Amino acid sequence: MMQDLLVSRGIIFCIVGTLLSGIVGLGGSTSFWHRASQALLVLSNVIGILAAVSFFSSGADTLPLFRLPFLFHTTFVLDKLSGLFFLMTTTVTSLVGLFALRYVEGYRESYNIRALDMTAALFIFGMQTVLLTTNIAAFMLCWEVMSVASFFLVMTDREEASMKAAFLYLTMTQLGASALIAGFFLLSHGSGLVDFATIASTARMLPASTIVFAFALLFFGFGSKAGLVPFHLWLPEAHPRAPSHISALMSGIMLKIALYGFLRVVLFLLPPLPAAAGLVVLTIGLLSGLFGVLHAVVDRDIKRTLAFSSIENLGLIFAMIGLGMYANSIGLDALAGIAVAAALFHSANHALFKSGLFLCAGAIVQETHTHRLEAMGGLAKAMPLLTGAFCLLALAASALPPFGTFFGEWTFLEAIIGALPKSPLPTKGILLITLSGVVLVSGLAIFAMVKLFAIASLGLPRSVAASHAKEPTVWINAPILIFVALSLLAGISSSYMLHALSPALIGFLPARASSMTVATGRLSPPALFLLLLIVLVLTVMVTRLCGNRLRRSSHVWDCGQPVDASMEYTATAFSSPIRFFFRFLLHHRKTVTSVPLVANNPWIAKHSMSVNADSVWFDTLYGWIASLLLWLSTQAKRLQNGIIQFYLLLIFLTLVLSLLVAV
Amino acid sequence: MSLSAFLIQGIVVLLLAPFSTGCARLFKARLQGRSGASPFLPYVRFATLLRKEMVIANTTSWVFHVTPIVVVSTSVFAATSLPLLSDAGAPGGLDNFIVFSAILALGSVFLVLGGLDPGTAFGGMGSSREMTLASLVEPAMITTFAAFAVVSGHSDISGMLNVGGAALLQYPSLIISLVALGLCTLAENARYPVDNPATHLELTMVHEAMILEYSGASLALLEYASSLRLTVFSLLIANIVVPLPLFSAALSLPSVSVTIAAAIVKLVVAMLLLAILESSIPKMRFYRMQEYLSVTYFIALAGLVFSLIPLS
Repeated sequence: MMQDLLVSRGIIFCIVGTLLSGIVGLGGSTSFWHRASQALLVLSNVIGILAAVSFFSSGADTLPLFRLPFLFHTTFVLDKLSGLFFLMTTTVTSLVGLFALRYVEGYRESYNIRALDMTAALFIFGMQTVLLTTNIAAFMLCWEVMSVASFFLVMTDREEASMKAAFLYLTMTQLGASALIAGFFLLSHGSGLVDFATIASTARMLPASTIVFAFALLFFGFGSKAGLVPFHLWLPEAHPRAPSHISALMSGIMLKIALYGFLRVVLFLLPPLPAAAGLVVLTIGLLSGLFGVLHAVVDRDIKRTLAFSSIENLGLIFAMIGLGMYANSIGLDALAGIAVAAALFHSANHALFKSGLFLCAGAIVQETHTHRLEAMGGLAKAMPLLTGAFCLLALAASALPPFGTFFGEWTFLEAIIGALPKSPLPTKGILLITLSGVVLVSGLAIFAMVKLFAIASLGLPRSVAASHAKEPTVWINAPILIFVALSLLAGISSSYMLHALSPALIGFLPARASSMTVATGRLSPPALFLLLLIVLVLTVMVTRLCGNRLRRSSHVWDCGQPVDASMEYTATAFSSPIRFFFRFLLHHRKTVTSVPLVANNPWIAKHSMSVNADSVWFDTLYGWIASLLLWLSTQAKRLQNGIIQFYLLLIFLTLVLSLLVAV
Repeated sequence: MSLSAFLIQGIVVLLLAPFSTGCARLFKARLQGRSGASPFLPYVRFATLLRKEMVIANTTSWVFHVTPIVVVSTSVFAATSLPLLSDAGAPGGLDNFIVFSAILALGSVFLVLGGLDPGTAFGGMGSSREMTLASLVEPAMITTFAAFAVVSGHSDISGMLNVGGAALLQYPSLIISLVALGLCTLAENARYPVDNPATHLELTMVHEAMILEYSGASLALLEYASSLRLTVFSLLIANIVVPLPLFSAALSLPSVSVTIAAAIVKLVVAMLLLAILESSIPKMRFYRMQEYLSVTYFIALAGLVFSLIPLS
């Protein structure tokens, strides 16, 4: 009892402290107020971490926190699922707050720091509370606090492109939110004050068609927030425009909140869905993974690459969940359990490495004053500590051992292969497609991450600003290094964590698989880590003993002509094989223009090549929708003919019509 | 596997690695009408390189120094964990096939980083190509081994040897997977038709372009890593085809010596086959690699699909 009280006090302190930190940030524009605000943010979120951890160690399934009568009589409750996501949120937030302490001060001229601190606090507050709400109205209210605050955060630097990205984001997020409201109302017979437990029991009585329709609406709502293809358009525009620590929160946490909402709906609220629903989620997930990773490979902007990689990772997570839903509906309980556990584990890992990578990108952009990978280079020499952390996080993002991401994907693949021989024929086909999709995406993800790290940090500096870059302060580096350590820790403890995340323990699928837990096979992550370490140390020792220690520094092998940065491989050149191999999917248009230098000789010409890497979605699907809407509004414009009697007639008709509908 | 079996396998494979490269070069020279050098020449070469002074490009960073160590470590990891001489299975399930392909990918990643670090066009070109190959071969590798895993019911490579040898005839689909494994091996080891291991012509090279800036002990490590990788792959395929003389956890002098002798024979045969292949086909243009890689992948997938169809 005592522990429960402490946990709920801790969580209340965390939420209130987050909100207060925003108010403190509003206090003044000197750096004292900013630092005080971020310190309070870090402190309250560290307390949130402790509270969430002790909630898990207490073993309780649910913990009611408090009840707000003025806010739709909602009770705030912590359970295992929301506890997991709450832990992710507070962990990332506290490190991001630590990073923002000094990072934001570098942008004193371009950002309004008071507004930034306040909006960021509101954004985090929205994400924390949306996890704890238990009725529709409160959920949507907190969801909107999160969405609207992040809308303002995207246009922090008040540039034209940021405004544009922010409004695109607002449009998509409001479309998603309206779909969510519609979906929830379908389930609750049009009442917003129903709590989730009631919905879960009444939804079983609804006709199947209503359930499927509600599921489609909710999937669109959460999926568009999670950046799934084809509703992803806003993500690569909006995430990179926000300040980097906010990008870290948006990619690392906000996308996970969408995932949480989806899991809450599918696994707790809706009755068992038909197998086709799982297949739709699986297909959309694999598509997002493939499109996200291909664009991450070919993109040339450091933060856009990370944003595309988020689409890829969320795609993989949704593919895992989709396969889990499908496996559950056809009775493959073991596969379903592992798929869901792997999805949760992957999302925890993604929260760690992607937030860390965005912070790295922020630190690098602050030093080099550019987002373009083509203008970076040579950073590893100038900032060894930061690029070392960057390298390790990029390895974690490529799902290579010994990081947690690898073990998550490994468990998933192993489960698929284990289920292959025993399953019926159509399921075999689906499992094979999933297997091929996931391995292709994870192979290409390595390419994308290597490109990101190598082009930014290795070689010669490609711009003057990049050559002046220097190691950031310890305040910037420390949170990034903690993210690296956490990613490694997740790898070493992955079999324990995967076990703890198995559906039976986290509280899903209560009726069907009560006793099932995830077994992680024979592979032992600590043994892998240990052998790698031993081999590495032995190699270093043997080389030290046998090798000649003499070293001479010289210029690179240059065929007699000095090598400079313009001869280096760029991001475009590096990813050119993949762009060529997958040209039927990427639709990049390469244009070569030739200008003759000598009037009478066409062969002596200056050639310039440009690659148009715009998304195909703007031209096709969204282009059609836009032209349809434009056409409709042109037609509607005919009503505005300027005759007052006609307008009065329209008002009268509207009145009659609404009375008819109402009565 | 007991620790001593583990150690014996590691040491023997590490010692045999230069010999296999030497054999491949000798056979290739003989097939092409040259007399060729002794198969033991690589030992001398590594010893010479280790004693030489290193020339380090002044544009490099810490990545350049970390690369050889990580690359050789991944090869050593594979050499110790896989069932190359002993079929007892590594402790902690480290001979899992997904771990194997991921460890290989880790080595490739660092090779790529080392190639890009000096900032030359050669290194960049080799790195871009190697990364493309590595990221597209990994799916094919996993799919290939998935077929073995499905048939044998084990995801550890030591368990997959149960369906090797004569048992391959009971599961003909695995022969397709074996072909795919051979194609993956050629791509992973930078051999024909993917890469030419003997050239320094900028249009054709992949692996050599990345290690162009390395010298002295670092170069020795990188070249040793690639011959170790070749040895590991050769012994692995040989063991799937002929899984016979392997020592188990209970060590005895006769079994260990027979296994080592058999391993040498397997390596010589494998290198002879490789030399015949490399002398009879041309290298493919790099921008046709997607054909090679997709063929590899689809052969691997075909092997997996056929192994799922029950034979009755």
